[in-house]
Amino acid sequence: MNRFDLLNKIQNILKDNLVICNIGLPSQELYKISDQPNFFYMLGSMGLSSSIGLGLALSQNKHVISIDGDGSVLMNMNTLATIGNRAPSNYTLLIIDNGSYGSTGDQRTFTDEKTSLKDVALGAGCKNVIECSGEETINELNKAIDDKDNSYVIISKINSGNVKIDPIPLNPITIRDRFRKFIGIVKYL
Amino acid sequence: MKISKKIIDNLKKGGVDFYLSVPCKLLANMIDILENDKDVYYSAVPREEEGMGICAGAYLGNKFPCIMMQNTGIGNSVNAIVSLLQLYQMPVIFLISYRGTPGEPVGAQGGMAKITEDILQTLRIPILHCSSEKELDKISTFSKHAKVIESPVAILCDFNLMKDDK
Repeated sequence: MNRFDLLNKIQNILKDNLVICNIGLPSQELYKISDQPNFFYMLGSMGLSSSIGLGLALSQNKHVISIDGDGSVLMNMNTLATIGNRAPSNYTLLIIDNGSYGSTGDQRTFTDEKTSLKDVALGAGCKNVIECSGEETINELNKAIDDKDNSYVIISKINSGNVKIDPIPLNPITIRDRFRKFIGIVKYL
Repeated sequence: MKISKKIIDNLKKGGVDFYLSVPCKLLANMIDILENDKDVYYSAVPREEEGMGICAGAYLGNKFPCIMMQNTGIGNSVNAIVSLLQLYQMPVIFLISYRGTPGEPVGAQGGMAKITEDILQTLRIPILHCSSEKELDKISTFSKHAKVIESPVAILCDFNLMKDDK
């Protein structure tokens, strides 16, 4: 299973939640599979999907899923400590860990060598850290969303590999405004 | 405490209700005030760039965020400012202790101080430079302005303004 297969499998769960989706191929693949106004596609700022989702979960009550990658989490590991200490129960960090920098040509990341993001997250103070296969991810995501008392970090171990795909045609203000309209903030659209 | 209280009062008057900080001794009083303020959200964060991301999420969730940091933090955050906050036109207040300005005892702070305003100007970030107490009165209007123009803005607080705020 690669990222595209996984996103396909979990699309029905994502549709019912607020989703912050990582820059590059993850966002492009998700857009191709199923574009929704409650999906915030990152067009820049690699590494910050986890952090954007955390800020969003702290600011309103709907459940938030940050879709992140191993390469991106390695770039912003300090935020696991913030999540470990501050994440509310309406927050799930889904790390799609394929051991490679998919958007830049599938160069290996350190999770394909010695680094365990599960151990890093646990050490950073995250309590509910699940490492699972791509196939198990649907179940784990559902459990995380159903648990109203705890936040989760789910590390989904899958194969590398990408689908040939176009850039997202939406402009950033469209992404922003339809997302905020979905939450009920923007009234003018 | 008087200066720090005035800054927070003005930010709150401007609608700011979500605060993060990467600490600085010049921000210590403000952090104390915010930790005891039940009306707003406050947390420390380990790194400024991450804070920009959390502020972006808070804005999406209808908060008006502020990140407090030293001017060195701007250096850590340039890509997040440009390709997140400015790209999506998100109002966020940067409350910056302006280390390396006159009164600063640590010479090494001079390097970032020399280029702080150049960086902010290159990024086209509006600046409110506070070097005396009366300038703090402009903070609430300046904060509201950030919302109107949908842009991050920077408030620079000079070393000498903050240092004696016991």
